[in-house]
Amino acid sequence: MWSSDQQQHMNTRNMMSSSSSSRSSPSSNSSVLVPQAPTAKRRTMEELWKDINLTTLHQDHRSYHRFPGDGSSPSFRNIILQDFLAKPVNQALAISPPAVEEHYPPPKSALSLNSGLEFQFLAPDYANSHSSSSPNASFVSSALSAAVAGPPSPSGLFSLCSKRRLLPDNTTTGVDRHHKRMIKNRESAARSRARKQAKTQTAIYL
Amino acid sequence: MSRDPLVVGNVVGDVLDPFIKSAAMRVIYNNKELTNGSELKPSAITNQPRVEIRGRNARTLYTLVMVDPDSPSPSNPTKREYLHWLVTDIPETTNASYGNEIVSYESPRPTAGIHRLVFILFRQSVSQTIYAPGWRQNFNTRDFAAVYNLGDPVAAVFFNCQRENGCGGRRYNK
Repeated sequence: MWSSDQQQHMNTRNMMSSSSSSRSSPSSNSSVLVPQAPTAKRRTMEELWKDINLTTLHQDHRSYHRFPGDGSSPSFRNIILQDFLAKPVNQALAISPPAVEEHYPPPKSALSLNSGLEFQFLAPDYANSHSSSSPNASFVSSALSAAVAGPPSPSGLFSLCSKRRLLPDNTTTGVDRHHKRMIKNRESAARSRARKQAKTQTAIYL
Repeated sequence: MSRDPLVVGNVVGDVLDPFIKSAAMRVIYNNKELTNGSELKPSAITNQPRVEIRGRNARTLYTLVMVDPDSPSPSNPTKREYLHWLVTDIPETTNASYGNEIVSYESPRPTAGIHRLVFILFRQSVSQTIYAPGWRQNFNTRDFAAVYNLGDPVAAVFFNCQRENGCGGRRYNK
């Protein structure tokens, strides 16, 4: 029932009707983006944020500014971003900073599972920047703030949110391009439906 | 939800605010009256149509605007709205050729996507001087009506138009 409601809401948005009345609060809008069950998100949220930390730390010493454009990370990121944005934004913001902070100690051991070599590189970094907000936290939280600033305007919501999902890194990955393309296709489909309906309505009235 | 084709086709919304039709306007291309939502080819609309305003009081004057809100492409309407034609001081009971052509008719030639082309009619309270905008693109019908105190539209009709042949190829938009 929740998902079908969201689906209908998404269809309404796709019709580009600017007159969505009661549901136009930013938090509910952002949760329309991915119509999935909410309960699964909450459970895995902590683990996903831990995983974000793992990947950011993993690549921190290699290339600070980029996620690799291909390989295993993009799909990883895909899940994380979608899940993140599926939640109401305020709540996501409230949850994630403490999640980011409290996971600093555990990844030391978790990192060793990924690669023993990197662990030695990162241990000194941990020691230095444990208490203060490390680059990783600021990286992630700047992504958060960028996403938080995203949803407010209701018009063109889909395209606006898809732009905000780009992390501070300017290059669009394949995932974001696919998402933009999907949104454009949906808008085009909505226009096509509107055209068809306009034709039939005219025929009725004539 | 309203079933008015202008609303369904999002003309009310993208170009106009909701209005009540109070004038009898007919747009005639090639001896065929235009109906809302119909599709015409660019070759059929190269010459300006005959726009008749039926009524009884020849002292009432009207302003006609023709715009394309989907320029250059419906998915990327950066030039919304593109002004194709602007005629003022059209007396009721006559047609647009009796009016004052401020912006000449430019034959629509869409290159990408399916464009809506909208005719909007305003009733003038006085005979007034209307100045042509500096350029055709990014015209705003709402602002235009506000600036010249034309009030709400009294009639509107729209049709669809796309490239004569083919789709124009893939666009590599960002």
